[in-house]
Amino acid sequence: MLKISNLSAKIENKSILQDFKLEINPGEVHAIMGPNGSGKSTLSNILSGKKGYDVKGEVLFENIDLFSLETEERAHKGIFLAFQYPLEIPGVNTNVFLKTSLNAIKKARGEKELDAIQFLKLVKEKAKELKFDEEKLGRQLNVGFSGGEKKKNEILQMSILNPKLSILDETDSGLDIDALKTVADGVNALRKKNNSFLIITHYQRLLEYIKPDFVHVLMNGKIIKSGGPELALELEKKGYENIN
Amino acid sequence: MEEQLKIDFEKNLKDFSYSDQEKKFKETNFKEFLKQGFPNRKLENWKFSDLNQIIQSNIGELTFYNDYKKENQIDKIELISELEHNKIIIVDGKIEKIDFKFEDQDKIEVLVEQGEENIRENINSLINLNNAFSNKFCKIIIKKNYSLKKPLVIYHSTNKNTQFKNTNLRIDFKLNENACLRLIDIFKDNSEKNFLNIYYNFEIDKSSILKNYKIDKSINNNVKYSYNNVKQQVNSISETFILSSGSKFFKNEINCDLLGQHSSAFVNGIFDLDDENHHEIKSNINHLVENTKSYQLVKSVLEKKSKAVYQGKIFVSSEAQKTDGYQLSNAILLSENSEFNAKPELEIYADDVKCSHGSSSGSLDENSIFYLMSRGLNYKEAKKLLINGFLLDVIEKITDEEIKNLIKNLLGVKE
Repeated sequence: MLKISNLSAKIENKSILQDFKLEINPGEVHAIMGPNGSGKSTLSNILSGKKGYDVKGEVLFENIDLFSLETEERAHKGIFLAFQYPLEIPGVNTNVFLKTSLNAIKKARGEKELDAIQFLKLVKEKAKELKFDEEKLGRQLNVGFSGGEKKKNEILQMSILNPKLSILDETDSGLDIDALKTVADGVNALRKKNNSFLIITHYQRLLEYIKPDFVHVLMNGKIIKSGGPELALELEKKGYENIN
Repeated sequence: MEEQLKIDFEKNLKDFSYSDQEKKFKETNFKEFLKQGFPNRKLENWKFSDLNQIIQSNIGELTFYNDYKKENQIDKIELISELEHNKIIIVDGKIEKIDFKFEDQDKIEVLVEQGEENIRENINSLINLNNAFSNKFCKIIIKKNYSLKKPLVIYHSTNKNTQFKNTNLRIDFKLNENACLRLIDIFKDNSEKNFLNIYYNFEIDKSSILKNYKIDKSINNNVKYSYNNVKQQVNSISETFILSSGSKFFKNEINCDLLGQHSSAFVNGIFDLDDENHHEIKSNINHLVENTKSYQLVKSVLEKKSKAVYQGKIFVSSEAQKTDGYQLSNAILLSENSEFNAKPELEIYADDVKCSHGSSSGSLDENSIFYLMSRGLNYKEAKKLLINGFLLDVIEKITDEEIKNLIKNLLGVKE
């Protein structure tokens, strides 16, 4: 599904990713762990199409050159980024935003757009599953939401848009244990034969609830070690400094 | 220009048999205008524009004579279909139709002949120009305890072939005790290169409510100036909302004298500007007695080489204790060449007051754009959603639901 080869990225001449390689097949869950400044967020930004990076190498998503696609086209093709810091958008109603987003994607795919009633039914159902306060759907997007609510809102968007590849950028940070479980349930509910996940995190904690197929350690812009779920536990014990 | 002014003024005087009093009034105003000329940057209220220059570059040489005897066609004027309304139709500064069909006829009085004494105001040279050249007196009086059932829409229109012309319009309004008027001004030009000069006088008695919505949305190459002079008594409310967008140049001045306790004034507006349009709002809120309130919010979205100016003044006299005055302006600059000028003016002589002001300007937040685009919206859609969101809180200040929806539709704000 996703094949990254020899990816390097610079921002203002500072090298962030070097010779980065990763392959994700349909249905797989990959976790990338790494200390602060290792390039985790850069990776998620580049994959979802944020501007401002000087990029070399190749990224194929379902055999299409990802760099030939605009940010919104990547969303249309099924890439979703759950933001580390979801933005507050004043004056934009959460429901309106969700509907606009879903229908923009449906339209681009040539699918039938949802009308207001169909949409409300879907959003209510998903909000209930994620224990997301329905009242918040009528409010301005993320404005006055707590950190946990913002993260849940990201997962709500993910479950409504039902992407092929979901990238979760430190979704666990700022979540209490109950919220963490709810978020993990949301992700697990989406785990299907064809949906893949790239989970970016500092800690092993989230991985107790979302079991990854592969764990990679990212340091200084490179994957220095890959393994199964046991690697996350080893990291937790030894720390990043002592992994080799 | 002076020669032209004199010729046109004489022609204007000849057209009508003005009474000696009227004649004197017009002559005094005319002389005053000749003395002062068009306002320029030397005046504090015109810090950011020289009207003479603006007229020269957008119109050229102006003429001032208007044939008020001529009947203008009004059947082609596009009316608002979204809401039922009373109407006044104005073509080239002449009132062609007054229609209060939704109201109790005995509750509204329309004086179209010179009757009462002329107010001897000397506000600025444009009002002198207006008084010298505007047509016969028109005053609309709303009787005590009467709230108009439907809004009154004033259509400001121009004839197709009138160019290089200055037209003037003056209307006086009196809201007697506990009356209510919703007034919408719609500017729709059929011509290019004109200068429209409007002067409204409002007397708002005890417990009355005036809501004035000025909508300049259709694109035109004209220069406009409008002055609202509002005098408010005890417990009265005035709400002004300005959607400033379509004209080449438009300056709205709002002067509110809060003369009665517990009176309040609200001035809100949107500058939605493109190309080289230059628009301004100048407010003077004069808190003259105790316990009065004012609130102002102005939002700007500025494309290309457009320029917006907001000069908001809060004046608090030494008697006006317990004043509550607030003003805020925010601007989004969508191009490096667009310009927003805010000049808050607070002049406070009382010591027990609450007054504040704020202003900000910046570009669209790229991270917010990225967030929306990562959810499948293209750049244009993301930008539109952010701008609508930015404008929402000022639109929400419109207290009339019907008119709020009308303005939302005009701006393409969806819910």
